[in-house]
Amino acid sequence: MKTATKDFLLEINVETLPVLYPRPWVETLQKELIKELEAQRIGYGGTYSACNKNLLICYIKGVSLHQEEISREVLGPPKHVAFDKEGNLTKQACGFAKTQGVKIEDLKIKKTAKGEYIYVEKKEKARPTKDILRDVVPEIIKNVHFPKTMRWDSSGFRFARPVESLLLLLGKDNLRIKAGNVPQKKVSGVTASVYLKKIQKASLIDPDERKDAIKKLILGKLGFLKADPQVDEALLEEVNFMVNSPQIFVGQFDKRFLRLPKDVLIASMSKYQRVFPVLQKGHITNNFIAIIEKGKRDMAGIRKNYENILEARLKDSLFFFDEDTKKPFKENAEQLKSLIFQKKLGNMSEKIERLKGLSRFICEKLALDEGLKSNIQRAAELSKLDLITLMVGEFPSLQGVMGGEYALKSGESKEVSQAIKEHYLPQGMDDKLPGSLESSILAISDRIDNVVGFLGTGVDISGSFDPFGIRRNTQGLIQIIEKKALRLRIDEVIQKSIELYNDKLTVDRGQLKDKIVDYIKERIEYLIGDVRPIELKAAILEIKYFDIVDIFNRIKIFSSISDKKFFSEAAKIVERTNNILKAARKGEIGKVDKNLFEETLEHELWKAYLNMRPKMQDLVNNEKYEEATREYAKAFYKILHDFFDHVMVNTEKVSLRLNRLAMMDTINRLYTERVADLAKLPQIIVK
Amino acid sequence: MKRLSFVEVVERLNKFWAKQGCTTVMPLDTEVGAGTFHPATFFKSLGNEKWRTAYIQPSRRPTDGRYADNPLRMQYYYQYQVLVKPSPREIKNIYLDSLKSLGIDLDLHEIRFVEDDWESPTLGAQGLGWEVWLDSLEITQFTYFQQIGGIELDMVSCEITYGIERLCMFIQNKNNVFDLEWQNGLKYGDLHKRHEIEHSKYNFDESNIDMHLKMFEFFEKEASALLSKKLVYPAYSFVLKASHAFNLLDARGAIGQSERARYIARIRSLAKRCAELYLSAAQGAATTS
Repeated sequence: MKTATKDFLLEINVETLPVLYPRPWVETLQKELIKELEAQRIGYGGTYSACNKNLLICYIKGVSLHQEEISREVLGPPKHVAFDKEGNLTKQACGFAKTQGVKIEDLKIKKTAKGEYIYVEKKEKARPTKDILRDVVPEIIKNVHFPKTMRWDSSGFRFARPVESLLLLLGKDNLRIKAGNVPQKKVSGVTASVYLKKIQKASLIDPDERKDAIKKLILGKLGFLKADPQVDEALLEEVNFMVNSPQIFVGQFDKRFLRLPKDVLIASMSKYQRVFPVLQKGHITNNFIAIIEKGKRDMAGIRKNYENILEARLKDSLFFFDEDTKKPFKENAEQLKSLIFQKKLGNMSEKIERLKGLSRFICEKLALDEGLKSNIQRAAELSKLDLITLMVGEFPSLQGVMGGEYALKSGESKEVSQAIKEHYLPQGMDDKLPGSLESSILAISDRIDNVVGFLGTGVDISGSFDPFGIRRNTQGLIQIIEKKALRLRIDEVIQKSIELYNDKLTVDRGQLKDKIVDYIKERIEYLIGDVRPIELKAAILEIKYFDIVDIFNRIKIFSSISDKKFFSEAAKIVERTNNILKAARKGEIGKVDKNLFEETLEHELWKAYLNMRPKMQDLVNNEKYEEATREYAKAFYKILHDFFDHVMVNTEKVSLRLNRLAMMDTINRLYTERVADLAKLPQIIVK
Repeated sequence: MKRLSFVEVVERLNKFWAKQGCTTVMPLDTEVGAGTFHPATFFKSLGNEKWRTAYIQPSRRPTDGRYADNPLRMQYYYQYQVLVKPSPREIKNIYLDSLKSLGIDLDLHEIRFVEDDWESPTLGAQGLGWEVWLDSLEITQFTYFQQIGGIELDMVSCEITYGIERLCMFIQNKNNVFDLEWQNGLKYGDLHKRHEIEHSKYNFDESNIDMHLKMFEFFEKEASALLSKKLVYPAYSFVLKASHAFNLLDARGAIGQSERARYIARIRSLAKRCAELYLSAAQGAATTS
């Protein structure tokens, strides 16, 4: 039955939200609303959401005004109890009808596996949608997550910022809900769709449209200035949530400030004033582009104010820069002794010594040449000196960057300076990675030193609470290793780092190493993302030998062969041997003794194993995982099935049983220990 | 826009907020880093008693000294502090009206609320809110307090803190704070420049580290002793003295990284005890009256 439908609108007007809040929130809100509609059996059509710094909108077209009616079957007594010998309804049958609230004429007979029963069809009362929405919407709003929420009145209601008003429209109906003391907007005589059109007309509420509009404005000005057509995307997204209707202007600052390093100029503009730098052929010019809220503005006045403030900030930076560069960079080294790295972990001088030691170890493992090694040592030596400069004191986000600048200015080589500059990268999920091999190794050393130090003195992560950035440190180091294809045994590097800490660590060293390896696995799992089948990740991460590049390699290879016949066959071998081994007790299984073989198939299977073992080792050493899988399947699939068909593994004779189990174990481990623990995959069906 | 002098701006703000029912209190006579430290904000924001206040408060932040070289930044400046408890729904519009009362045209210029969750670790104060930018100049901190003295607040207050110098620079169209007109042609620099230069020198180069380290210990001990004697106001005055001693030591570079966190924790723990003592006394008074 087709029910009547109306369009639904939820509008939340709120005080200016933090820039990163609106998008994810409104997307989740929409998802949750849809989920709820489906759970309540309410039909709907298209969905739409929009947001800006003050507005969160969710719109759903064609919402059924009633729930879908469903009927349930409620079983009553069996037929022979319901009817008497004459075929009349008994007292039990009537009693059943009465309790179900139906007439005896509505009773029906149903054939079940247990015989015939009487039953009734009960219709679930279909509630009107507006009642359901009134109940569920406040709950949904409360449950959609914000990183931080606040209270602002006595109701105890929490939201990211004070909510100015709420509006729910179903068609023309205003649905009143209870959400703290938030005022409800009331509109009369306007449908949800007309209302939406009105606000869409008033300003660009769609965040992507608005972002594109801003970008277009900026590119227009850049073109006019004959400047590089590059727009900082992160800043663009921020500015997207700082104005609702954009207006643009270009400003200037005194050319004398161009003496400052590019990164300082860019930070002063983007980070602190949210204006866009203007570059020509990669060089900073003394122009900037600002986006402000549209209005009848005194543009000259506003521009002058922006320029004055920017210049005041640049003046500060120039002061710092000149003070910092008064003496040679390396003279700061003494001061590092009084700069604490972390409570219990000593000072920065000590950290630098560890970085030198760890990076030296990594260079040796990678067999790098002396030139590179000495660059990294020099970079490590100078890597933390910028932390005591005035510039970094004022702009902490410029750590590393200033180190690189000051080193270069001090006469250090380009390679050393770049390593210092880049060793904190990546600074976020989407940030770029260190460019050179020197920066990468220094970056990895720094991160491992951090993680070992923090976890080694009892700091830990609990849920989403990770104040020391252990996850971020771990994730970055994985990304760097993978990108630069650094063939390292990460467990060895961690071990070295633990040794370099000497007696500073308070946690058990063996446990510490394992814990860090686990965190790394967890981050790899996260970074890999979607893989088919999903269990492949766990299958591969079980491997003992820990080379991160190798792990990613295996994932790639297995993803590509997971639909191949030989893969399923190999998985089947692992699965069957695994299943039969489940019966064995721990420690029961010893070595295979071929003198205990009784059947020909046992000899044959063992021969196949002995043949396969060196081949497998060779293929694995050369990382030929696809071929290893193929060969494994070829070697064992058919013969193992024959074996299971004709030989009883779990025979009564204990010595025989244990020997056969031992062979199953050996064959299983031949693959699972070296390639992937395919038992982790769901039940395999070989086509 | 009429070029109001510094003194005139303060007068207008006093007038505006008095009309909003704010009690004008006198600035605190102990060195503090912000208007929030004044008992009229720190203590009065605790508990469920309604309260509105507005006052000017000289604030000292030793690390912000620039020897009078920087046009915008000083180690001694004036905040205009407003606390409205509980915060009414229209508080944002009231604030915008206060700017209009100073002659600022909010159509010709752009007001922007930029996320900033202000906190004072030494006071255990935490809130959510914004920096308010006027043509990208930060002129106000707008905060809804969630916690004071580490205590989760039942009645949420809205704190509005204006940087008066910046506001004046905007109104008077000046680039440099020392060029601001203070009153009747007298410049801000005439009254403050030498003070700023000498104090910058003192904070960074000349302050007696040993003396301040000892003073911190004395102040901390005295505050603690007074708390045991249940004298919350005298105790709090020594917490403020300890906090200022710490700020001076910090500017002087006498405190290492990890030490810093520990000092802050010591001050915070005292501030917390003051807050708790204040609340328990207030509740005690409420039940006996």
